[in-house]
Parts: sequence; C-alpha cells; structure tokens
Amino acid sequence: MNGRRRMIAAAGIFLLGSLIVSGVPEARVQETPPASVKPAAATAPGQETPAAPRPARERMAVYVLLAWVWLSIAVLFGLLRLRVREADRVFRMGFDRAAEKAPKGPGY
Amino acid sequence: MNVLRAWIEERLGLRAVALFLEKKEVPRHKHTFLYYTGSSILLFLAIQTVTGVLLAFYYQPTLAGANASIVRIMTEMPLGWLVRSVHSWSATFMIAIVFVHLLGIAFTKAYRKPREATWVTGILLLGASLAFGFTGYLLPWDELSLAATKVGTDLPKALPVVGAWLTLVMRAGEDVTGDTLSRFFIFHVSVLPLAVLAFLAVHLFLVQRHGMSVPLEEERKGVKGPVLPFWPNFAFREAGVWLVLLGLLMTIAVLAAPGIGPQADLMAPAPEGIKPEWYFLFMFQMLKLFPARVLGLNGELVAVLIMMAGMAALLLLPFIDNRPFERKGKVITALAWTGLAYAIGMSIWSLL
Repeated sequence: MNGRRRMIAAAGIFLLGSLIVSGVPEARVQETPPASVKPAAATAPGQETPAAPRPARERMAVYVLLAWVWLSIAVLFGLLRLRVREADRVFRMGFDRAAEKAPKGPGY
Repeated sequence: MNVLRAWIEERLGLRAVALFLEKKEVPRHKHTFLYYTGSSILLFLAIQTVTGVLLAFYYQPTLAGANASIVRIMTEMPLGWLVRSVHSWSATFMIAIVFVHLLGIAFTKAYRKPREATWVTGILLLGASLAFGFTGYLLPWDELSLAATKVGTDLPKALPVVGAWLTLVMRAGEDVTGDTLSRFFIFHVSVLPLAVLAFLAVHLFLVQRHGMSVPLEEERKGVKGPVLPFWPNFAFREAGVWLVLLGLLMTIAVLAAPGIGPQADLMAPAPEGIKPEWYFLFMFQMLKLFPARVLGLNGELVAVLIMMAGMAALLLLPFIDNRPFERKGKVITALAWTGLAYAIGMSIWSLL
C-alpha cells in the first residue's frame, strides 16, 4: 500500500516537474516586457485584438503544454481508476463495516 | 509527521470531519451522475476565483484604462491571454453545469420536503452566477459590452414605480458611463463574491444536513437502495470527473480564446449584432419578438412581468409543487419541460 502511494506521489511529482520544466518556459518564449504604462492597444484603433498568441513558436509551445496537460490527466485518471476499483472491492467485501462491528478490547 | 498531525488535530479537530465523510453515503441509481455536478460547480468557482484575482492585478476599472488594460493583459503579460480565456470559459462551463444541476434537481423533484430551503439557496446562487456574468460582460469595455449593458440595464425601466430607480441604481446615473463600470467592477469582485460565499455556506450546510436526495421513483419503492461510501469511493470518481472537465476547459481555452473589441465610445451609435451571453439569449429573443402593445399595455412591461413571474415561480417551486406524487406534480413537470423547450428554442432562434 505504502509502495503504491510512493509510486503515485513520484509519478505526480515527475509529471508536475516535467510540465513546469518543459511546458511553461516554452510558452514564455517572449521575455516578460517591463510593465508599461502606455494605455494604447497594440492594434490600430477600432480594430479587434485577437486573443491567441501570434508568434508560431509561442503557439506551438501552447500546444505542447496542452499535450502535457492531457497526458497528465490520462495518467492520473488511470491511477484514480485503480484506487476506485480497490475501494469498491473493499466496500463489497464489507471490510469497513466489519471493522465497525469488531468487538472492542477490555476497558471500552 | 505524526507530531505535526497530532498538533493540527488538537487545534482544529479535523478527525470529526473525516469521520463524517467516512460515514457519508451516496445513493446509487440511474441518476447518480447528477451528484457530480455540485462539486464540478465548486471546481469552476475555484478556477474563477484564482484567474479572477490574477486578472484583477492588472485590470483598471476606468474609462481610459479598462479596455487598454485587458489588451495589455492579453498581449504583454506572460500567458495573460490564457488566464483571461480560462476565466471566461470557466464562467461558461460553470453556468452550464449550474443549469444541468438545477434541471436535474427539478426533474427528479429533489426539492421536495425537507429540502425546500436548499432549493431556494440554490436559486439565489444561480441568480448570483448570472449577475457575475452580467457584470463581467461590461468589464472589457468594448463596443459590444457597452451596447449589451445599455440594453440590459434599460429593461427594469419598463416596470412601474421602481423601474426608473432600479435603472438609475444599476447605471450609477442616467446613462452607462465610467461610474457604471466602477459599480459593475465592485459588484463583480466584491459584493457578488461575498453574497455567493454566504449562500454557498448555507447551501452546503443544508446539503450535508439532509443528505443526498434520491429520485421520486426510488423513494416510492419504500426500501433503501444501494449506496456508495462518499470516501473514498465517490470522492475518487468525482476527482476523475474534475480531471476530464479541467482538460476540456484547458483545450477550449487554448483553441477558442476570446478576443476583445475596440474600446467603447459613449457617443457612438450601437454596433450591429448586439448579443448578450448565451444564458440571456432566450430573454433577449423574447423581448425582441414581443409586440409593442399587448391588451393596451406596454409590451416591454408585459414581457418583463412574465419573466419576473417565471423567476418567482422557479424560486418558490418546492412550495408550488408541494404534492409531487400526485397529478399536480405531473402537471408541473410537464410545464417545466415546456418552459425548458421554450428557452432552448428561443436561444437557438436568437443565434440564427
């Protein structure tokens, strides 16, 4: 049980770590600009500002980030499924109810 | 670690909560999936709070700064566009799941005795969520948001006696101006979150107090059906649902990030194609189609009164449908289905 917990924790840390190391900095390929006070938009007046990042590299980095997110979700989902199966099996076997009904020791 | 755990336990007494969760049971039936909607709403509320705080660091609720600060968030802040997109899409997800949650409760008649107060607090939470959407729509301060807010705040004017005063209070003046923007911002980040916290605390307390309701047909059987322990069986399943929803949210936020229109001009005429958020579309379409005069009365007034009557009926539904097992209950269910079909039909019509 402890071994599995350790494995889940290690997998979680690995995924989170790799996500931070590879995804986020890549998405920030553009250096953070100094906080500017200019209120003007980057586009001409009267024009809509598109939302998604325009540089191809930054766009690619966002898709990499998205792929990492889904990969992490798939792994965590698999681990959760194992835990759910185990919990359901324990419940079906009635271990939890048996523990409640177990006779208590002297002094109780 | 054990020392720390004991220290925390001595001060907070969390064992009682853990014991409660271990004993808590979730009924198993064909509508069990509806139980996941409540916690999913909380998940999106948490995302809204986090992304909202991040946006508030840079947003300026002034005439000159509102639109420009959002453009700055989207173009200059690292991943600012994504934070804004997640905020916007999680609002959509949250309200969509709120509707599913509400409809699930309405059609399984889970509001019946003794859960009337749970329903009432739920409707108040729905109202607060819609108010979040309405106030948040103006904050980008672009042409569309200004025009839509003008239409939205103009509606109460049709009401006799209090109508003009309500519009004045909402707009902080005769017209939509910079004062309206400040007022909407304060409501969006301060008044509404406090209201939601208060309603949510009561709602969650009542949900725990009465336990999860079973559908009418299950209750009719008169025997206790199969259950699932909340911890860990149900909680892990819920976590799986959260993960999938998070993935969907991230995907849509990346692929369909919302842009922002040109800065609003108070003197400019209303642009073409004004549309409110999707959850107000049916009201918008209804107002558009309503004749100018109905039985000698102002058509807009009649439309507003019908909408208000609908909202009052929704709020008081558990008291109106007080005999859900009988014929009256069936008639109310049929009416609810008709209302739902009408709202969906009107929304689709508005989009065409």
